Amino acid sequence: MPVQPQRALYNLANRLIFRATRNRLPSHATTDSTETLLQHAEARLSANERTIARLQTDLDASLHFHRGMVILTSLRLLSVEATKNRDISFRSWRLLDVEDLVLEELGATAEVHLVQAGELEYAWRVITGRVREADAFLARFKEQQRILRSESAALQKALDGNGGGDEFDDDATTTGPRGSPLIRLLKFALPWRSLLVLGFLLTLAHVGAQMITPWLTMDLVDNVLIPLQSATDRVHVKHVYRFAAFLAGAAVLTWMLNWAKTFVVARLAERVTSRMRRETFEHLQRLSLTYFNKKRTGDLISRIGSDTDHISLFISINLIEFLSDSLFFFALAGILIWKNPLLAIAALGPAPVVGWLVNKVRTHLRGGFAAASRAWSAMNSVLTDVIPGVRVVKAFAQEQREIDRFRAADKHIFDTNDRVNRTWSFFTPMIELLTDAGLITVWAVGAWAVAHDRITVGVLTGFVFYIYRFYGRLESMSRFLASAQRASASAHRIFEVLDVQPDMPVNDGRKKIGRIRGEIEFKGVKLRHGSRQVIKGIDLKIQPGEMIGLVGPSGAGKTTIVNLACRFFDVTEGAVLVDGTDIREIDVEDYRRNLGLVLQEPYLFFGTIAENIAYGKPQATRAEIIAAARAARAHDFILKQPDGYDSMVGERGQQLSGGERQRISIARALLIDPALLILDEATSAVDTETEREIQEALDHLVKGRTTIAIAHRLGTLRKANRLIVMEDGRIVETGTHDVLLAHSGTYARLHQAMMEVTHR
Amino acid sequence: MSAAFDLSTDTSGRLVFVDPAGTRHQNVRPLRMFPLTEPNHWISLQDASGREVGCIEDPSKLSEAQLTALRMALAKRDFVPVIRTIHRVARAADGHEWQVTTDRGPTKFRTENDEAIQSLGGARFVIIDDHNTRYLIPNVEDLDRDSRRKLERYY
Ligand SMILES: Nc1ncnc2c1ncn2[C@@H]1O[C@H](COP(=O)(O)OP(=O)(O)OP(=O)(O)O)[C@@H](O)[C@H]1O
Ligand SMILES: [Mg+2]
Repeated sequence: MPVQPQRALYNLANRLIFRATRNRLPSHATTDSTETLLQHAEARLSANERTIARLQTDLDASLHFHRGMVILTSLRLLSVEATKNRDISFRSWRLLDVEDLVLEELGATAEVHLVQAGELEYAWRVITGRVREADAFLARFKEQQRILRSESAALQKALDGNGGGDEFDDDATTTGPRGSPLIRLLKFALPWRSLLVLGFLLTLAHVGAQMITPWLTMDLVDNVLIPLQSATDRVHVKHVYRFAAFLAGAAVLTWMLNWAKTFVVARLAERVTSRMRRETFEHLQRLSLTYFNKKRTGDLISRIGSDTDHISLFISINLIEFLSDSLFFFALAGILIWKNPLLAIAALGPAPVVGWLVNKVRTHLRGGFAAASRAWSAMNSVLTDVIPGVRVVKAFAQEQREIDRFRAADKHIFDTNDRVNRTWSFFTPMIELLTDAGLITVWAVGAWAVAHDRITVGVLTGFVFYIYRFYGRLESMSRFLASAQRASASAHRIFEVLDVQPDMPVNDGRKKIGRIRGEIEFKGVKLRHGSRQVIKGIDLKIQPGEMIGLVGPSGAGKTTIVNLACRFFDVTEGAVLVDGTDIREIDVEDYRRNLGLVLQEPYLFFGTIAENIAYGKPQATRAEIIAAARAARAHDFILKQPDGYDSMVGERGQQLSGGERQRISIARALLIDPALLILDEATSAVDTETEREIQEALDHLVKGRTTIAIAHRLGTLRKANRLIVMEDGRIVETGTHDVLLAHSGTYARLHQAMMEVTHR
Repeated sequence: MSAAFDLSTDTSGRLVFVDPAGTRHQNVRPLRMFPLTEPNHWISLQDASGREVGCIEDPSKLSEAQLTALRMALAKRDFVPVIRTIHRVARAADGHEWQVTTDRGPTKFRTENDEAIQSLGGARFVIIDDHNTRYLIPNVEDLDRDSRRKLERYY
């Protein structure tokens, strides 16, 4: 039942404001041409031929953008691309004839080479972003070739069995629900639909109340003032008081309704924007590290901060006002026409011109506001970059450079705002001019009509009143225009975040695992970051309770391996198994409760030391916190802080030394009693004496849990059951300290280098 | 463990601690581990060089004499006035000037920035002045209405 008015409102708003925006969705030119290419190719398939996979190519031989497509069918490899004179060129190779397809990575681009008799026969070029797709395409190709070669009917059948609809899913398109941002904004308001309806009703009443005064004025002039002036009838004076009383009543009513309306609508706006802020932040928390690696903090801050603010302003002030104005507008036009059609036409003459102007200015403004929001983000990004890095700035005496950087960002903001203001400053006075034009016409036509006795002076006065209001409304509608475009641009930026699909838990097995035994197995693991193959094939099985030392030169991929074990990233190839289960099938949160992680760059949150130690287990008792701190050899220095465990650590733990931060983060990891303890250079910033102490404490604690420790100071890993030596994304050696030394390989080299440094 | 150690005050008013192993530590300093959130539990005892020699989780389990000795030693070391009333908070050139009445009498102090007022969870607050003295507000709700209003602007 309450859905009804809400729905009507929704539709009304839809029709009134947003229609043009919706129609102007850009048609996607590129999909168009790939579709054409695909159609061309498919027209050439023979009857018993199926499409298995396809790969879009991006570049021609001169590295200009040029769309083409390679299609793998059950029998052939087809290549289609548009030629210069808009024809389609088409080539094909029988799969059994193709010797090999090879992927050549060339940095920002990559090529797929078709090799025939050891020679390069043909090449397709793609941008790096498509390398993964190309990889998958090649895999499909090899599989199909194998199937054809073996000519095995059974295999063929198996392929038919699982080769269903998923073959064409274009994983590049991850756009969520679309639609005008403002319409989606309305959906955010749905939980408060009663407030919405109430706000709307109050607005309606407010509009009605505003109509009373001019109406009374008409009567006042015709029935009181004019007779009073011409005749000398004393009785009429009483009417003046009555009218004055009515007018006062109308004014008070208008005031009260306005008050109630503003209150209700502001409440609504606050709730909607708070929900947007919360949902955006909650959504951010679900996104993977990959997303944050790409995004700038300042940009996200300004999206959650100032963009939601724009929206709040829009809803609280402009949206409902706009609706009431539109109603007012039509009611007025109705009254005017009813009172006197001739005068009404004269008065409303300029209105269509205004309508046209509004439409012209709108797109302009929207672009401007979007640019302004982006500029704002850019400035925030500069701030979030520079303020935490202020020590580096000072150390290198680069203050002026940062000032210039900020200035540039700030200038960008005022440039974009200037652009909006230029449009704006023209628009508002224009509306005023039109108001005056309307008024002059009303006076002129009205005087003529009064002279010819077509209307009374009272009606003319009423008209002038109405017209004033009318154009006054027009002006506020034009303000709405700006605010709506700004809100629309902002809403778009927020939905951009909300529409990002969390890319981590893809095949969410949601398998609850509880406490793990601690067996971790890497099986043919490869990982690619963009175009770079960072992990090039790792096979490693870690037994429950084992302590593994990971060593190797900087950049070898040690941290990356640990990231994979934590499932911060997913492998590109191969699998990570935990207790024999693929990590991708396990509920991520459930799994991570097993992890105690000490990062290479320990990060502490703003808060007290105790809060930071208990971060992973907020309900920890004080005894547990102290025990963890003792184990991490942090207890003594904590007590030297002014407030002991209650001391604030400052933002990012700035008030502590590097080694102190490390020890607190070790305590934090130990407190949750993890089944898998990961120490990435956990003690690199503490002195050797303290490191030895921590090590001794850890020796007790590593019992019963799997530990992966990374260290450059090789002595730290004396207690490790096995040392794994990595180099360039691969495991090059495995064994105990002594065995590895005797082996005189990479480890021996690293050890030798270290000894030289320490004994110099 | 409470039976296994002893606390006393020597003739010059310093704390003496005999640990469970029987070793006698002269002039130990008691230190609250959680001076703001749990001031009455978890007292660390340190020797002159800052090494921890003992730890008392719950002083209420001590004997009367031990407790008095501990209390006296603690009182000398800690000075955390509890704010009862806030009379005035004025914006000064760099920070704020406060006029308050505490459990140790009326006083004035200055804070430097907004971070000087810290929430300790719930209604518990601590204000750190520019001399690093800590003023505790155990429960904002217990302040009078006027004081609360004045504080509200800053957290
Ligand atoms: N997000 C990323 N995008 C692209 N490349 C990355 C990313 N993270 C790491 N790399 C690259 O992967 C390689 C391995 O990095 P990793 O952090 O695992 O090295 P590491 O062995 O831990 O080195 P260190 O001993 O210096 O910590 C490095 O060359 C690095 O440049
Ligand atoms: Mg690393």
